[in-house]
Amino acid sequence: MIELQNFSKRYGDFTAVENLTLRIGPGELFGFIGPNGAGKSTTIRFLVTLLKATSGQGFVAGFSVGRQPMDVRRSIGYMPDAFGVYDGMKVWEFLDFFAAAYQIPHARRRTIINDVMELLDIGGKRDEQVSSLSRGMTQRLCLAKTLVHDPPVLILDEPTSGLDPRARLEIKALLRELRNMGKTILIASHILTELADCCTSIGILERGKLLLHGPIDDVYRRIQSNRRVEIRFVAVQESNNQQRGIAILRRQPGFVDLQIDGPKVTAEIAADEAALATIVDEFAAEGVRFHSFADLDPTLEDVFMLVTKGAVN
Amino acid sequence: MANPVLQRELVANLRSPRAFALQAAFLLLLGALVAMAWPSAPRLTLANPEPARRLVDLFFIGQFLLASLTAPVFAAGALTGEKERKTYELLLASALRPAQIVWGKWAAALLPSVLLIVSTLPIVVLCLPLGGVSLYEVLAAYTALLAALACFSLFSLLCSAHFTRTTAALVTSYFCILPPALVGVALWQLLGEWSSGVRLALFLGVLPALSAGACVLFFVLTSRKLWYPSDIGSEGRDIVDEQQELREAVGLVISRDEFPDRLFAPAKRTDLLPDDANPVLDKELRSELFSQGTLMPRVVIQISLLLAVPLMGACLYLIPIFAPWYLAYVLLFNMLTAPVFTAGSVSGERERRTLDLLLVTTLRPGTILWGKLFSGLRVSSVLTMFLMWPVALACVLVPEYYANLPTFAGMLAVVAVTCIVSSVVSLFCSVSFQKSYVSLTAAYLALGCLYLLPPAADYFARTYLSETPAASAVHTAAAASPFSAVFAFPLEVKNPNDPNPNAPKLIRPADWPLVAGYFAAQAILVLLLLAFIQRTFRNRYDAAGG
Repeated sequence: MIELQNFSKRYGDFTAVENLTLRIGPGELFGFIGPNGAGKSTTIRFLVTLLKATSGQGFVAGFSVGRQPMDVRRSIGYMPDAFGVYDGMKVWEFLDFFAAAYQIPHARRRTIINDVMELLDIGGKRDEQVSSLSRGMTQRLCLAKTLVHDPPVLILDEPTSGLDPRARLEIKALLRELRNMGKTILIASHILTELADCCTSIGILERGKLLLHGPIDDVYRRIQSNRRVEIRFVAVQESNNQQRGIAILRRQPGFVDLQIDGPKVTAEIAADEAALATIVDEFAAEGVRFHSFADLDPTLEDVFMLVTKGAVN
Repeated sequence: MANPVLQRELVANLRSPRAFALQAAFLLLLGALVAMAWPSAPRLTLANPEPARRLVDLFFIGQFLLASLTAPVFAAGALTGEKERKTYELLLASALRPAQIVWGKWAAALLPSVLLIVSTLPIVVLCLPLGGVSLYEVLAAYTALLAALACFSLFSLLCSAHFTRTTAALVTSYFCILPPALVGVALWQLLGEWSSGVRLALFLGVLPALSAGACVLFFVLTSRKLWYPSDIGSEGRDIVDEQQELREAVGLVISRDEFPDRLFAPAKRTDLLPDDANPVLDKELRSELFSQGTLMPRVVIQISLLLAVPLMGACLYLIPIFAPWYLAYVLLFNMLTAPVFTAGSVSGERERRTLDLLLVTTLRPGTILWGKLFSGLRVSSVLTMFLMWPVALACVLVPEYYANLPTFAGMLAVVAVTCIVSSVVSLFCSVSFQKSYVSLTAAYLALGCLYLLPPAADYFARTYLSETPAASAVHTAAAASPFSAVFAFPLEVKNPNDPNPNAPKLIRPADWPLVAGYFAAQAILVLLLLAFIQRTFRNRYDAAGG
């Protein structure tokens, strides 16, 4: 649905994005991750036909970004990272304006406007001035605007920045709903927690280069060469319970590293599930007592920190 | 203790080479004008100091008008700029008292203009040996200049505190400053011919005192406005309630549902846009142009009508041969008004970050540009044409004009063309610049150069370089200005001071080559600018921001 082939953007000597190749399939919710200044917005602005590529090409819904910009615009709903609203307009007028701008016939517009307002839960604000809306409501209104022409692709640049936790959760739920409706969604964000549980695939960009991309489970698997186990030992001072447990961990053949945080010990071990069971057996055999033994899944933060070096353009 | 606001503003100004470049250019220009106008006779007759007096008058009036134009440029954006940059709240929440803030902003806005004016003193002193002008008159002129400048700056600062956008503050300042500035020029000229003693007393005593009183009043009002401003919080957005504004309005109100107001301010829509509508045009006309309230347009309309009444009486009825002067006023009004409604149309979208939203729709660049151009053109044309009603009325009521109807039709055509040119130039500036404030200032500068400079140069050349090839070339260039064009139409009226019905008529001769040149030049200019705008916008459309 979205494809980039060797996309590069240079401003004089400065390279914002270099040879970016990426493919996002239909119905995916793709999280575009990267530190500020990594080139996410540049890539997005190219995809929404607002920026010319220095080299390379892009396709959205089968249309060439460079050669068929009007078809691309018809196929996308775009929400920029920073946007404003028109003064002196009511909520319904704002949506009507954009519906008319996408040449939606008058006869269909009323139904569409009502539908998107209902979907975004802003029907109660219908007759309010857009400039009087709160930040969260304005984000919803802009999201509603991106849907008025029912585009198959949504491109959302930091859609939850500046929102309170409740509004973030609501937007996340909405994104899932939109994905269930069959939309392909590209969402750029540096708030990883909000992407982790709703994205189907991710791409990590740093200094204009795509470091890693693919389905989110694949990405986890690819970066997870070692397991991380978290053990909470019972605090029994006189028997050196925790020290004995740590000694068992250290003598494992695949032991890499461990971190001690009070009674909680996190160990990085190259081990399969059988090896983990052996560790539990050894704890039992030597009388090491623990509250919990957990095989930790990697988080998106772990992936991000592992893949990136914190460098930005 | 130093005022941190003043320090910051001065450091910001002095860091840029613009201030020095402007000052150097201004002094060079004045110096060149004085050198060109310097009497060429090998011997100067001090008994007939008329040329010297004329030169010094020209010098002061030019400076006075320039000071009136530059004072708002420096001051009108002082507080609205803070609001637009979202630093206003930080400033107000600091330990600085409102009076300190106002003082700092005022002094910072005033100093560049004061420096500009004081630095011209050596050039004036050079003219003193020519005779005809005393040191006291120079002193009076400079006192009046500085007093007016201080007063105009502070008034612009008051507008800046009141409005949320720089463009509204700038335009309101200009319209309020224009009448006293014109009265000042007229007084200087008239009193100079009548009694230089009275002129000295007025400009050295009365005017500075009046100015000081006004300054105190404006200072207090501006400081009070900063105590509990309504336009902070929620990102500085102040929602304008039109009904409340109508109830509280002093003088004229704008009723969107009634004629003639609906010509320029159509009623808000209550239903969806029709299929064949241009959404941009509809949005601009019904929602955007008056989204900041109607105070600014009300001020503009009331002041323009206030000035129009005496001008109409004098130029159209009492002294009919002066009819082109009234038309010149209408042109000046359009020159001031058109940029207000067009110069921010594209740059405003950039500032509010709505341009990207608009550009990713399937609207064609032509549709967007036409909507932007036509909405601004419609409002400024309707407002300008309000001032043409007295001309139409005079054509009916004054028998002297019956034989001159083709001339008035031609003048009407000049006004109509001016409306188009002013809007196109303003749109060009709006497309070319990122910020509305810069775009508006650039539009005024461009229109000033296009409309005022040619006739001013023509007057200067006729006065000081008469019968030279340069004068002829300058006269040809005057075809670029509508002000020159309205004076180029023939006018033949009875002398109102001569009761004899057979007395020879007063005749203003026709200059048809200039009229033809005017229409041709404007047509070429409009086509070129539209082509450039379309090309620039298409590029931006394809590659906004990159």
